[in-house]
Amino acid sequence: MTDMIAKDGVEEETVEAVKSLSGEYKYGFSTDVEMEYAPLGLTEDIVRLISEKNEEPEWMLEWRLQAFERWKQMEEPDWAMVDYPKIDFQDIYYYARPASMAEEKPKSLDDVDPKLLETYAKLGIPLKEQALLAGVEAPEGERKVAVDAVFDSVSVGTTFQDELKKAGVIFMSISEALKEHPDLVKKYIGTVVPQSDNFYATLNSAVFSDGSFVYIPEGVKCPMELSTYFRINAENTGQFERTLIIAEKGSYVSYLEGCTAPQRDVAQLHAAVVELVIQEDAEIKYSTVQNWFPGDAEGKGGIYNFVTKRADCRGDRAKVMWTQVETGSAVTWKYPSCILRGDDSQGEFYSIAIANNFQQADTGTKMIHLGKNTKSRIVSKGISAGKAQNTYRGLVSMHPKAANARNYTQCDSLLIGDKCGAHTVPYIEVKNNTARVEHEATTSKVDDDQLFYCRSRGMDEEEAVALVVNGFCKEVLQALPMEFAMEAQALVAISLEGSVG
Amino acid sequence: MLNIKNLQVGLEEEEKQILKGVDLNIGEGEVHAIMGPNGSGKSTTSYVLAGKDGYEVTGGSATLNGEELLDMEPEERAAAGLFLAFQYPVEIPGVGNMTFLRTAVNAQRKARGEEELSAGEFLKEVRAKAKSLKIDADMLKRPVNVGFSGGEKKRNEILQMAMLEPKMCVLDETDSGLDVDAMKLVAEGVNALRDGKRSFLVITHYQRLLDHIKPDVVHIMADGKIVKTGGPELALEVENNGYADILAEVA
Amino acid sequence: MAVSQPKLEGAANLAAHFTVPTGAKWANDTRANALSVFNAQGAPHKRDEYWRYTDPSALTAVPTAPAALFSNDEAPMFDGIDRVRVVFVDGIFDADQSDDLTLSGANIETLADVTGADIHWAKDLYGQLEANGQNPVQRPLAALNTAVADQGLVIHVTAKCEKPLAIRYVHSNENSDAVVHHVIKIDEGAEFTLLESGAGAARFNSVLEVDVADTAQFHHVRTQGRDHERKTVTHMFGRLGRESVLRSFTMTVNGVLTRNDAVLEFTGDDAQATVAGACAGDGTGFHHDDTVFVTHDSVNCESRQVFKKVLRNGATGVFQGKILVKEDAQKTDGYQISQGLLLDDNSNFLAKPELEIYADDVACSHGSTVGAIDDDALFYLISRGVPRKQAQDMLVLAFLAEAIEEIDNEELAEDILNRLAAWMERR
Repeated sequence: MTDMIAKDGVEEETVEAVKSLSGEYKYGFSTDVEMEYAPLGLTEDIVRLISEKNEEPEWMLEWRLQAFERWKQMEEPDWAMVDYPKIDFQDIYYYARPASMAEEKPKSLDDVDPKLLETYAKLGIPLKEQALLAGVEAPEGERKVAVDAVFDSVSVGTTFQDELKKAGVIFMSISEALKEHPDLVKKYIGTVVPQSDNFYATLNSAVFSDGSFVYIPEGVKCPMELSTYFRINAENTGQFERTLIIAEKGSYVSYLEGCTAPQRDVAQLHAAVVELVIQEDAEIKYSTVQNWFPGDAEGKGGIYNFVTKRADCRGDRAKVMWTQVETGSAVTWKYPSCILRGDDSQGEFYSIAIANNFQQADTGTKMIHLGKNTKSRIVSKGISAGKAQNTYRGLVSMHPKAANARNYTQCDSLLIGDKCGAHTVPYIEVKNNTARVEHEATTSKVDDDQLFYCRSRGMDEEEAVALVVNGFCKEVLQALPMEFAMEAQALVAISLEGSVG
Repeated sequence: MLNIKNLQVGLEEEEKQILKGVDLNIGEGEVHAIMGPNGSGKSTTSYVLAGKDGYEVTGGSATLNGEELLDMEPEERAAAGLFLAFQYPVEIPGVGNMTFLRTAVNAQRKARGEEELSAGEFLKEVRAKAKSLKIDADMLKRPVNVGFSGGEKKRNEILQMAMLEPKMCVLDETDSGLDVDAMKLVAEGVNALRDGKRSFLVITHYQRLLDHIKPDVVHIMADGKIVKTGGPELALEVENNGYADILAEVA
Repeated sequence: MAVSQPKLEGAANLAAHFTVPTGAKWANDTRANALSVFNAQGAPHKRDEYWRYTDPSALTAVPTAPAALFSNDEAPMFDGIDRVRVVFVDGIFDADQSDDLTLSGANIETLADVTGADIHWAKDLYGQLEANGQNPVQRPLAALNTAVADQGLVIHVTAKCEKPLAIRYVHSNENSDAVVHHVIKIDEGAEFTLLESGAGAARFNSVLEVDVADTAQFHHVRTQGRDHERKTVTHMFGRLGRESVLRSFTMTVNGVLTRNDAVLEFTGDDAQATVAGACAGDGTGFHHDDTVFVTHDSVNCESRQVFKKVLRNGATGVFQGKILVKEDAQKTDGYQISQGLLLDDNSNFLAKPELEIYADDVACSHGSTVGAIDDDALFYLISRGVPRKQAQDMLVLAFLAEAIEEIDNEELAEDILNRLAAWMERR
């Protein structure tokens, strides 16, 4: 039975991490800062106001208004296997920012309201790069991570700006980018996820308030990991961030994204758009640990997470890798996709989606093979517990010109308890005979023998489940950057607390 | 029998030369061995002789009893008497081993203008030959190579060899993945087919197979060429000293 | 969501094209109900989720486009098998060409006779399994069928039948628009085998409702032969009792449109069901769609869906399969495999293999692969001296054979395999 441990591949630390963490949603505190809100609801005036607050160029406002007009004609999609009360889009604040950020934006991190910095410190995200720069830094060999922190509707600061600038990398909030690099934003925004793409993307196009902008010039390997930390703090407020990453010829960047929100009784809306543009021989790794407040054990509150993420591999040999750990949100509706346009381009999607209590997740990917010799790989691990519903939904499409394209999909679901559901809805469309598609899916319950083995070695049931589930997810955890892998393992365990017994 | 002259081969997909002028002459009834380190071009030689896609012959020739193999389709080469025992025999779900064997035997007979074997004759012959290779009835019923162990796959290759009665047998790393007993069994099967007329080319990384299938001539291949040729003692030299010494010596 | 106007109009037009027959009160009621369901659902449209890969417009057009008669030199299917033979010509029962409707172990009547009788067991079955099968996925053309059908067989099986019943559908009029509806009730412990073959009509809409009682068995082998311009939509609604067995296999070859819906529900424990299909499409516009929905609502049942499609010269193969495991359907073993073999660049394979699972102690899986013939296997065969074309045919047959193996009866399986082999030689 020694091979079982190896198979599960869970290190001692995981068990320790599980033990050290409490069963509560760890990020459920709220920060008490004075906030400035736009009036409740959504009108053309609100769209104008957001644009004005961000001091945007005229074309941006026009673009937003165009999206808003379109959105008014659209209907909310109902095809996903998620069930939630109808959202009243007029009962949401579309813009909220800490008052301290209102008049004049802080020039450097030193000027940022200490309460905000404290929030991020509490979340485990140090925005103070000075400490590191002064040499009091972490052990040798630890990689630096530049952080852009988004608090409700605005970015509160971005670290390591100077160092990145030296490398030619642009990493700033999209509102700043609209001021400093409007041509770049104009050139790419909406070219991967068009304004009209879907209900939520169109809404986002009208009201997005901030988000991150990354530009990696030709031939540059970004010298550090970039990350954005999204925090919804204000009550009854929607967060609509927009992220745009452009990797020019031969460049490389690894980007991490983390999300948390306070524990509140009323559900909150989050509708983001992420666009990745990848040119010839460039590569983007995009990792997400999504831990929005999932609602309480009775299903009250939580984030409604409707996200459109898409990567466009425009050049030959472009590569993209999406890795996501989705443990939070009351409702998740998210399909990070890859358009494999360039010949020999590659797309990968690694996903862990955990739904416990009353959570509902409908997530997956689309791999659109257009170019020759394009390759894609999908590894999806869904875990359902409590009364949750977890759906994998995916599309693999091989176009007539995608000669010799390849896809491999492995899609596994694990059920913990008999009140939850696990569903798989793959679409496979092959219009080329030199293309090859292999799709496998399994659904089963947590293996009793493995649980018994762990328990006979002294673990309690929850530890045993966490261990086995971590083993089940191993392939995806391994795809995460080191910084996230540990956090993700611990999250897996926490998300499942209360799921057995 | 088999005459290879200055054979030069690259990959179709990329610019890479693998064989850089191989010369080899195997006479009737002879057993030759090719040994060499990984990546020296041994397996490529066998694939090119059998006619696998993906290789581009850029020069040279390979004739079997005077006929140019390189101009033929793979099935024509088989009918001409060439047989390749694969290093990794492919699994073919849904095609019964018997059906497969009978189709192959009769296709070759037909191509040579011989009468096809009747079902009865064929069955009798297969059973007799399978028995000597310890291949049971169950293996014959199952789909080709599906669920076979490594040893079973290799024995199945030898059974095909016995049934198809080729003139020239190429064995590509037949010993890989076999334990000593399985290797002996396979070697016995091969030796049973040595009749003084049939020729063999045994490709192997290690000397151990050659303890059981005794070669007349041993060639050392490196970097796409035959770099040294000798008697059976050459194999022992490799066994004792490795390839490095020999390669240094010819360099 | 509101039903769109074109769908509603489409339904009204199509319904008006047929006549609702009149008979006994129960039959009239059932038909009226079905008609109102059809009118409310609207005609199927390619924007509907379950028609996204198959455009149903040829099935809803009024009147149907004519289909040229297809002269076929093949011997009729199942000729070598001892059977009771029944013939429908353009969807109309032909007593002259049929054997007497007597089969030991079964009572066979025609639908027209049965729906005219005031008291008949079929009252509780006709249109009922079809109605159950309308949720969660709508099947408007099945509702239409129940509303307007007056042709078909009504069979009550009370024991193990000594031989199969074979229905041959003959297409003899190029404008025929047939609606056929069979009802089969198999009593506890009884066994029945149904064979179906032939194109049937220019447009052919069939419903088969089969109620398999505890420990009963239903075996079904169907061939939808070559008839290039025919349009076919079939529906099978099966209900399975405790320890019962249902096995259905369909071989489909060229035809411009084939849509086979199979809707099965396990209501008793320890039962087994298989729906399998082998399909060979060779030519532009030939389109084959198998849509299967299996609902597990009892404990320890096993279901298998096995579909293999070989496609070339512009043919399209579709598989939409679903396994739904309800909350208490523990120990369910659900298996689904769909594979497409594309022999050239013009052919398409589209699949949506779904799992929807609400019980935890289950083992459900699906696999789907699409690709060309395996080059390594082909080279292996050729290197043993098998000519390329023959080697290709061997691999194609081997590919299809895995679906044919799902047929329980060796004689029938061999018959089907030979037919496919012959089909390949003809190319």
